[in-house]
Amino acid sequence: MTLTRTVADDRPGLAVASTPEPPATASRRPALACAATLVVTGAAGAALLVAANRAAEWDTGDQFGFFWLGLLVFTLPAVVWLVRRGTGARLRIAVLTAYAGFTYLPKLLRTPDGPLYHDEFAHWRQAHEILVDGRLFEQNPIVKVVGDFPGLHSTVASISALTGVSIWHGALIVLITAHLLVVLGVFVLAEEIWPEPRTAAVAAVLYGLNSSFLFFDTQFGYESLAIPLLVWTLVALHRAMRGPAGRARYGWSAVTLMLSAATIATHHLTALGLLGVMLILCAVATARALRRSHPRAVTWTAWVLTVAAAVLVVTYLAVVAPRTAGYLDPYLAKALDQFAGMAGSSGSGKRTLFRESVAPWWERYAAFGAQGLAGIAMAAALWRLRYRREGDAVSRTGALAMFVLGSLYFPAALLILTPSGAEGARRSWAFSYLGIALVVAPVVVALLDHATRRPVRIATAGALLGVCAVALVGNTAAGMNPSYRFPGPPVFGSDTRSAIPEVSAASDWLRATQGRDLRIVADRYSGLIFGSYGGQRPVTGSQSFRTYDLYLAQPDREIPPLLIQQLSSWNFGYLIVDRRMAREVPEIQIYFETNEPVPHDGKPAFTLGQLTKFDGTPWTIKIYDSGNIAIYRFDFASLGRPVR
Amino acid sequence: MTTPRLIAAVLAALTLLVFSNGLPWVFVAVCLAALAGIGELWLRALSGEVMPPVTRIGLAAASGLVSLPFVAITLHALGILIRARSIAIGLAVLVGVLGAVVLLRERRSGSPADPRLPRMIGAVAIPGLLTLVVGFLALSAYGRLPHPPQPGYTSLALAGWAADINQPVAIGARGVHVPLRVSSAGRPGATEPLRVRVGPRLVSGRPMAVAADATRSVEVFVPAPPDHCLHRIEISLGATSTVFYGRGPVARVSTGRVSTGPGQTGC
Repeated sequence: MTLTRTVADDRPGLAVASTPEPPATASRRPALACAATLVVTGAAGAALLVAANRAAEWDTGDQFGFFWLGLLVFTLPAVVWLVRRGTGARLRIAVLTAYAGFTYLPKLLRTPDGPLYHDEFAHWRQAHEILVDGRLFEQNPIVKVVGDFPGLHSTVASISALTGVSIWHGALIVLITAHLLVVLGVFVLAEEIWPEPRTAAVAAVLYGLNSSFLFFDTQFGYESLAIPLLVWTLVALHRAMRGPAGRARYGWSAVTLMLSAATIATHHLTALGLLGVMLILCAVATARALRRSHPRAVTWTAWVLTVAAAVLVVTYLAVVAPRTAGYLDPYLAKALDQFAGMAGSSGSGKRTLFRESVAPWWERYAAFGAQGLAGIAMAAALWRLRYRREGDAVSRTGALAMFVLGSLYFPAALLILTPSGAEGARRSWAFSYLGIALVVAPVVVALLDHATRRPVRIATAGALLGVCAVALVGNTAAGMNPSYRFPGPPVFGSDTRSAIPEVSAASDWLRATQGRDLRIVADRYSGLIFGSYGGQRPVTGSQSFRTYDLYLAQPDREIPPLLIQQLSSWNFGYLIVDRRMAREVPEIQIYFETNEPVPHDGKPAFTLGQLTKFDGTPWTIKIYDSGNIAIYRFDFASLGRPVR
Repeated sequence: MTTPRLIAAVLAALTLLVFSNGLPWVFVAVCLAALAGIGELWLRALSGEVMPPVTRIGLAAASGLVSLPFVAITLHALGILIRARSIAIGLAVLVGVLGAVVLLRERRSGSPADPRLPRMIGAVAIPGLLTLVVGFLALSAYGRLPHPPQPGYTSLALAGWAADINQPVAIGARGVHVPLRVSSAGRPGATEPLRVRVGPRLVSGRPMAVAADATRSVEVFVPAPPDHCLHRIEISLGATSTVFYGRGPVARVSTGRVSTGPGQTGC
């Protein structure tokens, strides 16, 4: 028989500092007012977001205004309810939940039916393969290491298998849950550091200003699940550090390790990011322990758990996912090269921000302004950390560690100027903004509380909301291309708008007539469709397997024999040619892969002759043609034979 | 909820998921509830400590969700294919193990119950459901509004035996009928020239009607190439074409079924 006892309190120290929840009868009226406000503004915001998508589809140019109006019409009142002093604990959580749900809506409207972003095709395929074959760790042809980190797609495939919903709907269920978990997780983590629910709510909102929050970390990609796991691991770690010695500390340590293991099995970079954050916490805890301002048990707990997580990460990367280092290394090495090139006199390797972007001028200015605002906010946070010491030893350690983490935002911002570093910089902001959010939140609340007279308080709140709006607009503009954010007319060389029905039809035909799991050579955009919906194994080229030389070869020149030997010995059977490569410049300046040896000078890199030469070579049999897309079957035995 | 009841509820939900069909969205709710229950068991087994309700909800949701990859990886390691039934059985085993740990722990120290938890669950569930309704309505409205037409295309593909051509085709003196598939989508019906070329020579040409948004099969006659050398054979419909290679009959052979053969000197 189970013994049951009611709880008096859970954390004495924190519970005392928390705002006491108003009685149920007293809180009912504000709750109803809040519900009415947010339902009306939520409906209006959703209608404006739909209008933004419509404007983008019909190319009227009004999408940016509609989008931001729609987003802000809900989020600003929601923030007001969150930071209002009279808001009770349950109402605050309810508003945060609504905030999380509403901020998923832009991504939901962008991709309601299926994958659209580059990595989404890879994860969709991986989940589909699990449902079809029942196996994990299959190599993915679109993102080669995705298969080694089965956390997300095995979750999605399992939900799809258990419930009968489609893979995409299964993914949406997981991703919406993960988005809610991020918002609640930042709130709870902030409560571990600042025992004040308003501050915690502000931290959750500030984290929502980061460049990945609305679109990138809501996609069907492994980081979308891994980042909430990271946040909740840090919650458990703080609990373990704070917990009384004995069974409670062991229990929270076990939760920390369980969530660490799940993070590692989900995403490589987030696992490394988690390790980095844990090491920062350990370093700060050690420094404070040496100055005797910190109990040693706390430091030891942090170190033991960090070492254990490091063992898990290293073991997983070495044993289960050994390809990861080779996958990540070229990005980092090339980014550093380009950074060195920028610093040198030549200025080579430099990337021009917003080049050929259709984003309006105010989004671009906001993008630069957001960096400045982050700098000012961090300076204010440093001043506050220096002169206002709050909370217990663990809170103080957590706050200082988060300040160090948030400071890493600025060096990463420099990498955005290099083509290869931009992707990594954008990904890192989801981590570093956690630090910014957690240390800037008390500054915001202090500013609000500092104004005692009502007009001044309203003016301060208005100014802060304005600053948050600028940061949200600017960070989102800096983090995501308009073609990822909005629908629109087909654009060649855009991950999201290249997939015209013609490509899907060619992919369907190949699968229906030739089967799946065929080894094919393709460009980046055809490869996404053929590799996901088509179920094939596309290769889009690399330094060691230069399939792009097939396309680059002039009509009267020989294909490199080494490449032919590789294709033949590795049983490549088909070649996909998208003739738009001879007419249009890819929007994202990539035909095949990021390090391709293809000129990017504003003109199409291929002539029609280079792409139609396969119509006259006896080793390529043209079995399908739809104008833009042609499919050839290789017949290497006929290479070099004379033709009449 | 007491631990035995929680275990029973989760096992009942898993049984329902395995043995029932249809109503996928109802099963989604059942599945999420089962995962939250498993997450709660994780917390009771590992921590066994009281915590703020929102922390409990978040950790239970995260722990429940990650139970799926843990079970999937375990099944993979054991060589068991990942299917609905194997996942459900794996989750049931996990529930059994966690439940046993929790019951042992509770025998010693009792089970803490938090009266704030049900209301906090409501504070998360109600706005969550409301935003889902708003999202669903927005999606429905967006889906029903007219959208710009997608670019159309006409495709031409080898079909039947011709879709399997993987080397030069040996064509007998009587020629060969090549099956084709013509498909059109997003374009108005049109008449396009259907032409056959053997090498540089145009051997036939006729207009062919291509219906809008339709797929049809056609057969095109390809005469024998003039000699046993390799010839390029192109069948085109408007701007689209298929290309394969073929050889005519050897001079002394008068008839021939479609077959393939090696090259010949003198070509």
